Amino acid sequence: MESSLAMNTLIFLGVAIIMVPLARKFGLSSVIGYILGGIIIGPYALKLTGNNVNDIMHASEFGVIMLLFLVGLELEPRKFWEMRKKIMGLGLSQMALTILLLFLVFISVGWRVDKAIAVAMCFALSSTAIVLQTLQEKNNLKTTAGEASFSTLLFQDISVIPILAILPIVANYKAKHHDNDIQILIQKLPEWLQAGTVIFGVALLILLGRYVFVPFLRYVSKSGMTELLTASSLFLVIGVSELMVVIGLSPALGAFLAGVMLANSEFRHELEAQIDPFKGLLLAVFFVSVGSTINFNIIQKDPLFIFSTVFAVLAVKFVVLYTIGKFFRIDTPQSLFYAFALSQVGEFAFVLLNYASDLYLLGPEMNAQMMAVTAITMCITPILLIINEKFITPKFIKEIPEEEHDFNILGSDVSQKKIIIVGFGHFGSTVGRLLKANKIPATVLDRDSDRVKLLRSYGFKVYYGDATRIPILRAAGIEDAEILVLCLDDPDDNKFIAELVREHYPEVKIFVRAKNRIDAYDYLNSGVNHIYRETLGTAVDMAVDVLHETGMRKYAARRLGQRFMAIDKASIRKLAKMKENDDDITLFTTKEILQREEELLAYDNLNFDNKNWEGSSSADEEDEDESQD
Amino acid sequence: MKKTLVVFAHPYLEHSNSNVELINFYVRHQHYTLRDLYEEYPDFHIAAFRERKRLKNYERFVFQFPLIWFGMPPLLRLWIDEVFDRDWLKENEHNPLEGKEVYILVTTGGKERSFSKTGTYQYTIDELISGLIVSLKVFKADIKHIKIVYEANKLSKKEIILHKKEFTELLNQ
Repeated sequence: MESSLAMNTLIFLGVAIIMVPLARKFGLSSVIGYILGGIIIGPYALKLTGNNVNDIMHASEFGVIMLLFLVGLELEPRKFWEMRKKIMGLGLSQMALTILLLFLVFISVGWRVDKAIAVAMCFALSSTAIVLQTLQEKNNLKTTAGEASFSTLLFQDISVIPILAILPIVANYKAKHHDNDIQILIQKLPEWLQAGTVIFGVALLILLGRYVFVPFLRYVSKSGMTELLTASSLFLVIGVSELMVVIGLSPALGAFLAGVMLANSEFRHELEAQIDPFKGLLLAVFFVSVGSTINFNIIQKDPLFIFSTVFAVLAVKFVVLYTIGKFFRIDTPQSLFYAFALSQVGEFAFVLLNYASDLYLLGPEMNAQMMAVTAITMCITPILLIINEKFITPKFIKEIPEEEHDFNILGSDVSQKKIIIVGFGHFGSTVGRLLKANKIPATVLDRDSDRVKLLRSYGFKVYYGDATRIPILRAAGIEDAEILVLCLDDPDDNKFIAELVREHYPEVKIFVRAKNRIDAYDYLNSGVNHIYRETLGTAVDMAVDVLHETGMRKYAARRLGQRFMAIDKASIRKLAKMKENDDDITLFTTKEILQREEELLAYDNLNFDNKNWEGSSSADEEDEDESQD
Repeated sequence: MKKTLVVFAHPYLEHSNSNVELINFYVRHQHYTLRDLYEEYPDFHIAAFRERKRLKNYERFVFQFPLIWFGMPPLLRLWIDEVFDRDWLKENEHNPLEGKEVYILVTTGGKERSFSKTGTYQYTIDELISGLIVSLKVFKADIKHIKIVYEANKLSKKEIILHKKEFTELLNQ
């Protein structure tokens, strides 16, 4: 079916909007929703889209690139360096063993040797898109299995290039013009330099990350325009991946390394917030396409062959992964998760299979059959993961005592409360410094790029980002934060964020800086209880010193000051309640503010009389007693 | 059961071995109200009116604290200074302490034999906390028992629980 780009987009988005919430409702991963949607709109059901493998690859390539960039952002260079053995160990053993076993299986059922090698290599790869998306959705990236999966996938991504080089050798195919377009630069160089390009590429990326990306983003952020930051984020990710293509490295690997290089920079959360929606959309397109490529005619022709191949592939991959997991001392439930998660055939198989059939390694029918196998395994893994989660894992978890199990799964992240500080000017930095002095880590967001740069040079972990936008807050981790500290200068911004967070994340405790009483009324009436009037403490300190200067003993003055604060804090709560029904509380004129001050003074006179204070504090006590029962 | 107010003062509770275990009893029983002075008045500004009003509502008092440099913790001392009122003894005034049962629990790192006329410190614990005892007696409170836990920092969890049991049995009589 011929259709315009807009029409295709409409169909893709429409089916995603309908199917994904449905899938989520049944507790399934969004991946299943997308794939089912793809099957429905595909050429064998509604016939709404064409069956074009190239489209899939474009969408998935960029989706995966962005996904890996985001994963890179989460991983600091030091942590990545620590993982290098895991990547080599897990990845290499997985690839080698899977290729060998699959090859033996294929040979034993009587395939030609070259065909068996080619298909085994294609099928050894797993799907980065499906696995990482699932891990992110389940928040499993930081578990042992998550890290193992990620390491293996990274190695697989790197090994696509050697496979592309080996396939022609397997085919014994000499013609130059058919060589894929990925290796451009690498082939112009003499052979002894070709290995060097890889090292050169990585070194170039590290240099760029160190000395070019961050100043570039700083320069852009100074303009203060959000859309420019979106543009430069995309520019950066796509630019890096293109650069890698030219050098002859996997673009996904390039994006990942760029992410790692930027993980320590102040733009980490801003970049996450910018790239995330694009990644989501592109991956959605990819998953839908996978669904729509399943060729049901081919399956109908020889279902036994297709499904026995699917079963063999899944079984071999599962056994290899589980054995490796066990060999690397990962505990049973985690090994199971790792093995199930990576048991499908990856999206690179689409490209590799096509390439192999270009080399006459596979006939057209075989090619279509293998494509179908790939797509089916992709659809099956999310289901396998659900079975694992619901039925298999619980059996193993029971063997471990509750407490220890909790401890293992939660790890160190949960033991400390997560704090986000918004605004790091004079006010916020005082809060942050006191926390830092006591080794309490906090995520700090500020939107003045010069200040961010300065603070980072003093070793503060400050990120650039405008916290009035919910994606930025989400990137900074508001979802699992417990405390949000709002220290922005502009009271309207503080109010805006407080309301936003109370609406979307009511669990988060909000501590807010207020300019004055009127601000404080607003907060109290909207349910924010931790309010810090920036002038109260200093003004009382000053008054205490003035009292002393008039001849009062310092201790007496100090006591009066503290008493004043206690009464003032109690009175503001009462006055806020009284004013709750006034609609015009925010529309004060100067005259009305004066009037309010007068009311306050009258109230003070009442309160400072001992008898009345006794009365007013008894009300406090009642509140407290209620809360205790 | 008598409605009991527990006035608890410990400046370094996070480093305490025994008191954390000892106070969890009060939290679990509804007839006890635990007032953790160092948590409630971290800036040493005691709301005296509120405290006085509170005292009236209880039939029995427990004072629990560690010995700090051979005396009670400074915030408890300040609490007594601010809250106890000579006017209570005047005619027609209500004295919230009169005739009320009082139990005192003191923890110390020292050995029992050190706190005697012939021991290292030459004073008994009763003498060292006499400020509290005499003040209570002035207001005609009925001091039922003073329990002292020696070498509190060296006790095993089992021994602490044994002390707790002993003290709560006293309270439940």
